[in-house]
Amino acid sequence: MALEEAVKQEITELITANEVVLFMKGNRQAPQCGFSATVVGILDSMLPDYQTVDVLSAPHIRDGIKSFSSWPTVPQLYVKGEFVGGCDIIQEMFGTGEIYKTLGVEPIEVVQPSVEISAAAVTALEQAAAQHGGEGRELHLSVDATFQSNLSIGPRTPADVEALTSGVLILLDPISASRADGITIDVADTPNGQAFKVDNPNAPQVQTMTVGELKAAIDANEIVELLDVRTPEERAIAAIAGSVLLNEEEAARIEALPRDTKLVLHCHHGGRAQQAAEQFISLGFTRVFNVTGGIDAWSQEIDPDTPRY
Amino acid sequence: MALQIINAGPPPEEIADQIRQAIAQRLPDATIEVRAEAPGHFAISVTDAIFDGLSRVAQQQRVYGAIAELMAGPNPPVHAIDRLECRVP
Repeated sequence: MALEEAVKQEITELITANEVVLFMKGNRQAPQCGFSATVVGILDSMLPDYQTVDVLSAPHIRDGIKSFSSWPTVPQLYVKGEFVGGCDIIQEMFGTGEIYKTLGVEPIEVVQPSVEISAAAVTALEQAAAQHGGEGRELHLSVDATFQSNLSIGPRTPADVEALTSGVLILLDPISASRADGITIDVADTPNGQAFKVDNPNAPQVQTMTVGELKAAIDANEIVELLDVRTPEERAIAAIAGSVLLNEEEAARIEALPRDTKLVLHCHHGGRAQQAAEQFISLGFTRVFNVTGGIDAWSQEIDPDTPRY
Repeated sequence: MALQIINAGPPPEEIADQIRQAIAQRLPDATIEVRAEAPGHFAISVTDAIFDGLSRVAQQQRVYGAIAELMAGPNPPVHAIDRLECRVP
């Protein structure tokens, strides 16, 4: 399966036009395979910007890049026009610290996180390790960019960091380690049996804002995104100037924004906006506010001309 | 357990031979070992002076380049290389 000149040209242009290019399955916001997600995780922790190419939506590139690089798998990382490697190699370079030099960035300071584990959780973890562990297979805790935690058992890699715990050995990759300080692990009873409960104080929470604070922020031109989480019918009755209805189109626009964009949500009394705010938190947004009391509080305290219903 | 479609393709030893030949064509002075591990999965070890001074990626690219045809297309005879060792004599 020879590499066509047109595809070769297209790939050459991609790796010339951008300093860092990751050929992957999916894209940076939504990787579609574990190996691609791993490389994205590593790059995200070091680079504010880089180019990704989704081979799943470009089959000619999916085949072409394998010929071009003489490399049979995806993801593939290119830096300054040179092929650097796939997932295994990137992980190894991350572990040895070589990756920083390749990308031209300052090394991340590796932090040993303190993880508090309840007695019940220690017992459960030791049982799990005895059952599924073995030669070189240890307990791992990973924390992704949206602060979801995952406990697993697997081999130790050179990059792994040991958590500071009382007794149980838990390993984390350096990026998860930077998100894990202060985590507590307990067990809880669920209808399906016992489950681990991981609480992470570093996870962004929905914040609240009074209508007074909202008014002050609007007057000071500080509010960029004020989202109305109600129905169009309710909005026709009463609305806050400067707000936009969170329909599908707006939601798609918001989801493409940088995760540190300040989002302020309101609804009628505050219930729906809380749920919507939690959704945005789970998408990775870090500055999400719910207006306490909703438009009803706004009518009562700020603008009596806004109809109540 | 997922249903396995019986592949009426060539037996693993024959594919291993094809791998050996493809690498030998590209690296005539190499000592080549190919082992079939599971259907479509192989472990390869290549010893050649040409690897001297090359990065691990560059070494592996020499071998992957040689067997690219065997790994191309929607259902290639070689699905994956589980282990690729490149050594200098």
